[in-house]
Formats: sequence, C-alpha cells, structure tokens
Amino acid sequence: MITIRQARAGDEIGMQECNLTNLPENYQMKYYLYHFATWPALSYVAENEEGRVVGYVLAKMNDDNDAKPPLDGHITSLSVLRSYRRLGLAERLMNQAQRAMVELYGSKKVSLHVRVSNKAAFSLYKNTLKFDVDRTEEKYYADGEDAYEMKKVLDGLYATEMDSLDF
Amino acid sequence: MSLTISELPHKEQALFRAALKLYEARQYKKGLKTCEQILKKVPNHGETLAVKGMFMAHLDRKEEGYETIKRGIEISPKSSISWHIYGIVNRSDQKYTEAIKCYEEALNGDPDNINILRDLASLQSYMRQFDKLIQTRQKLVKLNSVYVPFWLGLANTYHMAGKYDQAIKVISSNEEAMKNEPGIGPTEISELLMYKNWLMELNGDYQQALENLKEIRPKILDVTGWKEQKANLLFKVNRNEAAAMAYQDLIERNPDNKAYITGYLACNGLDITRPSDKDAILEVIHTLQHQFPNSSTLRFMPLTFCDGDDFVKSADVVAKHALRKGIPSLFTSMKLLYADKAKGTALGTLFEGYAVQLRDTKRFSDSADDEATSVQTWCKFYLAQHWDYYGDHERALQLIEDAVKESPDTVELYAVKAKILKHAGDIRGARGTMDYARQMDLKDRYINSKAVKYMLRDNDVDEAEKTMVMFLRNDATNKIQEIFDIQAIWYMRERGNAYRRLGDIGRALKQYHQVQSCFDTYRNDEYDFHSYNLRKVTMRAYVDIMNWEDQVYSHDIYVDSAHSAIDCYLYLHDRKQAGNPFEAIVSDEQKRVTRNGSSKQGQHTLSAGIGETKIAEVDKDPNGSGYVNADSHLAQALKFVEQLESAVGLQPKTHVAAFDVHLRMKKYFLALKSINSLKAIDDSHPSLTPMAVRLVHGLESDNEFAAPMKAALKGQLAKVFGDVTIAGTLSANDQSLPFMLVGASALLDIGGDANLASARAMLAQAASDKYGATRTLDNLLEARDLLAKCGSSDPELSELNKGAQTLFPLATCF
Repeated sequence: MITIRQARAGDEIGMQECNLTNLPENYQMKYYLYHFATWPALSYVAENEEGRVVGYVLAKMNDDNDAKPPLDGHITSLSVLRSYRRLGLAERLMNQAQRAMVELYGSKKVSLHVRVSNKAAFSLYKNTLKFDVDRTEEKYYADGEDAYEMKKVLDGLYATEMDSLDF
Repeated sequence: MSLTISELPHKEQALFRAALKLYEARQYKKGLKTCEQILKKVPNHGETLAVKGMFMAHLDRKEEGYETIKRGIEISPKSSISWHIYGIVNRSDQKYTEAIKCYEEALNGDPDNINILRDLASLQSYMRQFDKLIQTRQKLVKLNSVYVPFWLGLANTYHMAGKYDQAIKVISSNEEAMKNEPGIGPTEISELLMYKNWLMELNGDYQQALENLKEIRPKILDVTGWKEQKANLLFKVNRNEAAAMAYQDLIERNPDNKAYITGYLACNGLDITRPSDKDAILEVIHTLQHQFPNSSTLRFMPLTFCDGDDFVKSADVVAKHALRKGIPSLFTSMKLLYADKAKGTALGTLFEGYAVQLRDTKRFSDSADDEATSVQTWCKFYLAQHWDYYGDHERALQLIEDAVKESPDTVELYAVKAKILKHAGDIRGARGTMDYARQMDLKDRYINSKAVKYMLRDNDVDEAEKTMVMFLRNDATNKIQEIFDIQAIWYMRERGNAYRRLGDIGRALKQYHQVQSCFDTYRNDEYDFHSYNLRKVTMRAYVDIMNWEDQVYSHDIYVDSAHSAIDCYLYLHDRKQAGNPFEAIVSDEQKRVTRNGSSKQGQHTLSAGIGETKIAEVDKDPNGSGYVNADSHLAQALKFVEQLESAVGLQPKTHVAAFDVHLRMKKYFLALKSINSLKAIDDSHPSLTPMAVRLVHGLESDNEFAAPMKAALKGQLAKVFGDVTIAGTLSANDQSLPFMLVGASALLDIGGDANLASARAMLAQAASDKYGATRTLDNLLEARDLLAKCGSSDPELSELNKGAQTLFPLATCF
C-alpha cells in the first residue's frame, strides 16, 4: 500500500537515496532542502508500507530573472523505483505537484528537461504524463548532452476550489 | 599599543576597507596582499592582523590563520572587528560554540551592529539556544522594526521556546504593515497566515484557530494545507461530522493518502488498530472504494485489519488486479502482513490455488476469460518470494526458474532470483544473477545499483566501483570524490562492510567516516536556512527542517555505520592491547587524483541565495592509515558512541556499544550506567548478563582502581543481578542462538582456558537443532567468525560448517 503525500524535511534523505539508486542526475542534500525551503508545497513522495520513499517528484517554480508571473512550474526530478512500476505512481505524484503549482502560483504551464538519449523517460513524459517537446536545449547537461525541454499546459486541468466557509 | 582603524594613516585606512571588500568578493589572495601592505607600514595593527588571518584561513593556511587572528586580538582585545572576524572563521569551520563566544565579544564593543546580531541569531538558532536567541532577536527588531525577517525571526523564536501566545502577538502587530514591504506578495502572506493559524493550534486555542481559518481563506493559496488544517481543527473541537466531510474533501483531492483515510475513519469513531471496529471500518472503506475506484490505498487497506474470510476476499481483489497488471511490488506490499502467521498461510493457499487454476484452465476459477500467460508467470514470481520468506529456498528457486523460462526477458525475475540466492547464502551466485540482469538493461540505473550492492556483498570492491561509476557524470574527473560529493551513503556503508569482511579495517573505517561526514554535512546544511526561510516566509517548512535536523543522526544508515566503526576501533584497540597491532593495508594503485571542473548546468551547486556545500577532500588517505594509526582508538570510538547516545538513546544496541567502549576505557561507572540504560529499555536483552559479568571481571582484574569504589560498584551490580553467571543465563535461554553468541563472545573477552574451551565448544554447536529458527544465516556466520577469532581448531570449525551446510545447502560461505 503506497501513500502519496506532500514531502517533508524528514523525507529528503529517502528522496536522495531513491534518486541515487534510480537516476543518473544526482543532487546534494542541500539542493533538496533548498527546494523544500522555497516551495514547500510542490514536492510529493510515494511511501511504501515500511515508510520508505519509493518515488518522488521534486518540483520548483521557474524563477529565472526574466520570468514574469504567473511563473511556470518546473519538474527538477521525478523518480519511481523500478520495482514499483505499473502502479501509476508517477502520474499520481505529478498530478498533486501540478495542482499545487496552479493553486499556489497560478501556473499556466509546467516544464521539465530530459536527456535526448533517455528513451524510457521521454516516453513516460510524452505518453503517460502528456508533455510535449518545446525545444532542444543544446549541451544542457554537464557532460555535453542535449536536453529536450518538454512542456505541458495546465490551464483548465484543475478547477478552482470554492471552499464553503460555513463550518 | 593598539590602534583602531581610524587611527591608521589615511592611505592604510583606505587599504583596510579595500581588504574587507575583497573578502566579500572572495578575492582572498588579493586581500592577503593588501593586508601585508598595511602591515608593512603599521606592523602591529591588531585588526589588520585579524583580517590577514581570515584570508589565510581561506587559503588553506588554517593554523597560521588562527594564530594570526589570535595575535591580532591580543594586540587589540576590545576590537569588535577582530572578534567578529574570529567568529566568522570559527563559524565557517563549523565551530559553532566558539563562534558564538566570539560574536558575543564582538557585540560588547559594538552592541548595535546589525550584521553581528544577525549572524549571532543564526548561530544561536543552529545551537538551539532559544533563551539567548530571544534577546538577540529583540535587539534586531528594536534596530529595525519593519524588516520582515527580523520580527518573523522573533515570532519563530518565541514559537521554538514554547511561548506561542507571544509569537502570535508579534505576528498580529506586524502583519498589516507587512504588505508594503519589498519581497512580500500573496504567496508570502498566505504562508504567514497559515503559520499564525498553526501557532493558535499549538497554543491550544482550537476554536479560535477554526474561526481564524475561515477568515483567512480568501488569502490562502496553499489550498491543500488549508483543507488539512480545517479537517484537523474540526476534529479537535469534536465536530466529527463536519470533520468527516472535510476529510472526504481531502480524499477527493488525493485518494491515496492513508492519513486522510484514517482521519476520516477517526471522525466516524473508528480506529483501524481496534479489532472490534473491523466490520464497521470495512463497510466505510467499501463505500469509499465505490466513490474512488482508482485508489490503490483503499483497495489494499482492508488487508491490514481484516482476518478470516474477509481477509481472503480482500486479498483476492488486490492479488488479481496486481497479477493482471504485472505489478512487481505485490509481494513487497504483502510482506508486512506475514507477521500475522494466519495471513501468511492464507496468502500461500490463495496463490497456490491461483497457480493450479491457471495451469489447468488458463483462467481464475471465478472468471470466464483466459488470462494472459504473463499472469501465470507473475503468480510464480509471487510464490517464489512467498517460499523464500519461509526459508524454503529450494522451492523458491524452482518457482523462479520456472518463471524465468516462461519470460526470459523480464529483468525483475532475475532480481528476485538473485535475492533468493542471497538469502540461501549463495552470495556468488546471487551476484552473478544480478549482474546478468544488469546486462539485460544497461541503461537502467536501478538494476545497476542492485548489481553494485550485490558485488559489494560478494566483497568485489573493484568490480563494484567500475560498475557504479558507469552512472556518474562523465565530466567528474575523480569518481571517488564524485561518489562522496553526491552523498551516496548507501554505497559507502556497503563498501565499508565489504572492506571489513576482507579484513581491510583502514579502508572500512574510511568509508564509515565518510558516512559520518555526509551526515555532518546534512546537519550543517541547516545553517543557511536560518536566514533564508525568514526571507522567504516559509515558516512551516523552516520549523520542519529544524525538527528533522534535530534527529538526523537517527537515520539507519548512520546508526549502522557508526556501530560498524565502533566495532572496527574496538578491534584495533584489542589488537594493540594484545601486542599485535593491526597495520593498514597499502595497495599499489594509490594514484592521487585531483578534482577539477564544475558542472555548467549548476545542478550540483545551489541556486542564488544559498552558499555552496563545503566538500571535504576524500582521497588524501586512500587506505585509511590515519584511522588505523590514531593515537587512541577508544577516543575515536567514543565519539561515535556519544553521537548514538544522543540520537538513538532508546535503541538497546547503543548501550551495548557504549558499554564496550567504557569498559575498555576503565570508566566503570559509565559502564554501569550503560548496563542500567539497557536494562531500562529491555530487561531480557541477551547482552545484559554478559555485560554485568564482564564488568565484575573488569573490576576484579584492575588493581589500580580504588577499592572502596570497586566495592560500591560491585554492590550495585549485585543488587540488580544477584549471583548471575553467563552459564546460568545461557542455560535459561538454551534455545536462543543470539544468547549463545553474546555469551560465548563475553567468555572470549574475559579469557582463561576454561572460558575459551567452553566458548569454543558452544560455538562449534551453533547449528544444532535446539536453536531452531534462530539459526539464521547471519547468526551462523557470526558464530563462525567468533570461532575463527579464538583460533579454533579445524574439527570445531568443520563441525560448525557441516551443520550450517545442512541448514543452508546452497550456501557457498560455509
């Protein structure tokens, strides 16, 4: 039984471990903490019955100097352990993160980068998560490989919540 | 005679200011030269010496730097600048306690210096000195009452000190004016309002918090957070019906969050851990399932609290769904249920039934459609793990082999086969199988990581490293440094364990110290957030970060590595005591590589606003001889013990380790304290009696220890333990291999021919029937290691190996 919930500071080591065993793009702990300290509501984890992080989405807002609100959301890293595939975890995680982007920051779009050679990830983003290639960013990665910048429109995906205040 | 800056000649004053600017621009070499220029003219200028020392410290001339700063302070002991500098240098070396002292001195001379106060506030936050911090924060607010991070910092300090009402007061009197401050937008306001609402809750004003929550809703952007708080508060004021609706609303947002579902049940007066609620809960869950058919959490949940037919029915739904979809984690998600014997048996029956149905009819008995052949394969995949769980490795292997035959391209099958082989003790075979799986999908890092882990379990460090680096960035010139930089703590631990098994204690210790160092970095990472979060107004996250940091060393990889390090140091100490000191193992390929180049993409560094993580250089001492040749192995071990005592004081093992170190240090009172701490946690722990006996023996054989104290200690021990002996405890627990292992190990520690003989005789019999299910692979391996340690004869070793082989016929390690 996997729980999907907002990431907390106590999840960061688990997220880092999940990332390190699963993906080639790795980050120091402080980078995870920086995400959490800046956009605490955007990142989500999938936790198994033993409390282990088996998947996560690490998300941020695109706050480059020339970016004007509403800012686009950006997926820094999305990972689900191979042994937890076919449970739809990536979709569930992304769904929560995307809604948070819309609700907290009014995002109209969300973007991400993927190595042009990473066919498995590309197909996940394209076919399952419905992202489209926006452009190719040359030599995006430190080792010289190009990245596809992929985008997805968030407009209309999440209805505005009308909370009753009668309680 | 001391000169202040204003007393310097005009030109030197300008140079001094230039030097400070160079420091901010990180131009340390130029800065150093500038200082030297001033000192040529005014050689004993204290403050210039301090600045010079700071540059030296940053230029890898640490000791000299500290000396120079101290000399500067001696010349002008009242200089705020010099003390401030001393504080900065201490802080960047993570000597926080010293740094605080320096900042306090600096404040004496310059009590209203905002920079000093601000740094001091971060330091006091880091050290959790909240009482002192309140004063510092109050001063900052006095100096600039509108600057948001200052009053927010004060509010947070009141919060951390438990003075919630004062925290709320500070926020209330500032929130109106805040809107016009730079950097404050709707996001920040929303965060602040949610923080204040939380403070009201912490203060126990649930009703007031609830009213407040309504008021602030139009300004709240964190809708999920708001809804969670609504449900939480409604429940706290016993408005269960309304709270249930709030949870229902949350479940709609995210039907896979278990906390929402248990919250919903609680509002209905139901508790998942209470057996009498079972039927009612099942009904509620079924209703929810109907509403949220896609929730796998709701589908699975009944398995955790149902039994009998209800359990089988629910398991049947989960299992068929997973088998048809080919979900590889099915067994893993069921594994915890096996703690209940009846559930394990029921699952076995259920899946065996499937296997027969699928084999004979290609379909499940309740279905009219043929299933895909893969369903049968995944069923075998499950059953293999099922029998592996029960230790029937041969049956498990047969099943997984069958599955492999049916679907030879499925990587997951090989991964499980490797795991079964590992459990059966065939480490080499396990590694080979996992490596085969890796080669089936070379682009997948997950299977690569698994293969690396299994290579390390097989003690093949070189091959593991070659495999590991395949997924490191190409531009990292020093791959070992890169592994450290990306904080691959799992790898460090496994690698350390491999070296330890190989007897290379130096390299093992090096790995464990690297784990320590990574956790120290995690802890130090907190520092910058004390100013950062206050600027960003992410207060709930800020508190969460501090709470996590308070217990960061309780992570199992840290705890486990610390214990291994302690064991290594004890081993080194004992060898030294026995006159047979261990020597570090030097290998020929000790090339020194330096690291250069940094990522263009900037992903390994941090975005603006947060300083870069400081990285220690890892390969100065590749074989770990520094650890092996440490002056005092026990002092090193003690550092780990102290960290464990503060992080995981409730774990029995902590006190066993503490005892082992204290006893060797002849700190008998502390050794007794460890015994008492262990007893308080678990008074039937296998180590308890052996520890008491060893302490008595230690006291008796120490002729230098004062007799009255000896008598006092023995008296205390006798009061608690009476006349216990190891033999006595072992015969009272004669079906437990763990008891025997600790007892034998204690006898070996105490020494003497009779003890040695008795330990050896027991260890040789470790595989005998009376120990039943406690004869795990790990326990048997430990027995073998202990036998080897006491220089046992061949017949004893072969007796043990023979027994172990019967139990683990596939094992290659006996």
